[in-house]
Amino acid sequence: MSDIQAKPIIQAVGLRKDYGVFHAVKGIDFEVMPGEIFGMLGPNGAGKTTTMRMLSSVSPITAGQIFIDGLNVEDEPRKVRDRIGVVAQHDGLDQDLNVHQNLVTYARYFSITGKAAQERAREMLEFFGLDHRSGSSIHTLSGGMKRRLTLARAFMTRPKVVILDEPSTGLDPQSRNRVWEQLFRIRDAGATILMSTHYMEEAAQLCDRLVIMDNGNILSRGTPDDLVLEHAGSLTAVIRPNNGSGPAVRTALEESGKVVRDRGTSMVVHGPEELRSELAQIPDATVRFRVSTLEDVFLNLTGRELREE
Amino acid sequence: MTTLLTRAGLDFRPSNVYGVWLRHWLAFKGGWLVDSTSIVAEPLFVLLAVGFGIGKFVEGIEGDLSYQEFVAPGIIAANAMWPALFNCSWGAYQRMENQKIYETMISAPVNLSELAAGEIVWGATRAGMTTAAVLLIATLLGLISSPLALLILPLGFLVGLVFGGMGLVYASIAPTQHSMMLIFTLIGTPIFFFSGAFFPIDSLHSGVQPIAWAMPLTGAVHVARGLSTGELAMSHLYGLLYMIALASVFYPAAFLLLRRKLIT
Repeated sequence: MSDIQAKPIIQAVGLRKDYGVFHAVKGIDFEVMPGEIFGMLGPNGAGKTTTMRMLSSVSPITAGQIFIDGLNVEDEPRKVRDRIGVVAQHDGLDQDLNVHQNLVTYARYFSITGKAAQERAREMLEFFGLDHRSGSSIHTLSGGMKRRLTLARAFMTRPKVVILDEPSTGLDPQSRNRVWEQLFRIRDAGATILMSTHYMEEAAQLCDRLVIMDNGNILSRGTPDDLVLEHAGSLTAVIRPNNGSGPAVRTALEESGKVVRDRGTSMVVHGPEELRSELAQIPDATVRFRVSTLEDVFLNLTGRELREE
Repeated sequence: MTTLLTRAGLDFRPSNVYGVWLRHWLAFKGGWLVDSTSIVAEPLFVLLAVGFGIGKFVEGIEGDLSYQEFVAPGIIAANAMWPALFNCSWGAYQRMENQKIYETMISAPVNLSELAAGEIVWGATRAGMTTAAVLLIATLLGLISSPLALLILPLGFLVGLVFGGMGLVYASIAPTQHSMMLIFTLIGTPIFFFSGAFFPIDSLHSGVQPIAWAMPLTGAVHVARGLSTGELAMSHLYGLLYMIALASVFYPAAFLLLRRKLIT
């Protein structure tokens, strides 16, 4: 990404999607550079899936344009799909075929057949740790294995761009880590990854850059660290006032020039490291300090929790 | 250029039709014993029960034909309908709504026109398999008198194209999985019984005869009977053309309705 000559491999310009009177995506712009892991972070209904479906040309664009690898998605949908690998939120695995057959059947749609397909399937099964399950039927696989198989399938065709919708939703922490590991390896093998997520930890760990989306808009963009620094400082003080002293504590903090945000029964103040000494002793309240996260960023931008589970 | 072709629906890769067909073949091979048994068993039971059970009580029916000889080609043609209808309605709905593999395919460089064609051609392949099996049995039972009957095989395939297309049309407009049953009870069953397979359409009330003749299976039953006896007339050509016309209407209809449903 330090390569100044690099042109974006994905470019969305004024991208909009209306379903009747409902505006799912409200004119967004973003660029993804080759080799990046680019994230779209936002709650359900933010417009992430709709955007990804437009990128993979299975959803018509209402207004605006998308370019992938220099191709206009609306003009050359098939050529675009030749170059991308899509992992939808549902697995879309073929339950009537076994693991190996899922891979070679998919590859055939990209005109990869015969020996080349067999070879690649073997590579992919090994790469994604599924070589011992080649002949298994899909319903015997665990959730993590299924997700890895969808990654293997998307990667069968050596796509330049991999589009992943919520790659770790529904996985246990162990499987999630394994999927993350493999996304890094996919990227290291030269692919660009565009992924959506509503896990702030996933966005923070994986993404080089990300956009924060809500209600069809992009609210903010940057590297995870920059976003946190910009919108939530580096440190968060969580202040829990003693019984009945909330208003007094709040006034005192505000008089000292702090921006105080309510978080249910407690309040938070963001700021630099110095916060630790400044707020070490507040009368009538207990204070805890923690590192600010993307969750704070999202809360500050929208006033809502990112994950509503 | 590609843009124009795409918009006109002319950017068509036959290799993708084959790819979809091959997917079905692989799935079929996985459970071939069960599937093949049902392919052969059901029509065989119908042939035995109707042909030899009921047939005992029926006098010669049209000219010198015994009832068994009359009913056999009808049963062959009529049984080509079920596997195609089943694959492209119930089966297609499963793949589309529950397994979401249509979404997988169209996110890959498969166009819906190719997907629909692959589904229908596979439905027709299954129809052809059933036709071959039942034709063989009927021949062994001595119910087929003309070598022209071999042509019932491609006819069965054509029946499959018609009902595959019809099934896919229904799958793309059916609101729920539960409503998929209706195509069998309200459409498949009356077509099966009233297309002249089991009794001549002339024996129906004259007011409903045109309806029976318009049914999408009637032409095929008529042609199959002509081929099995070797006595052909112009009416058989009309029947054939009608089937071809239906197939060529259902396919684009299925493709357009699928597009309306899936490309949103």
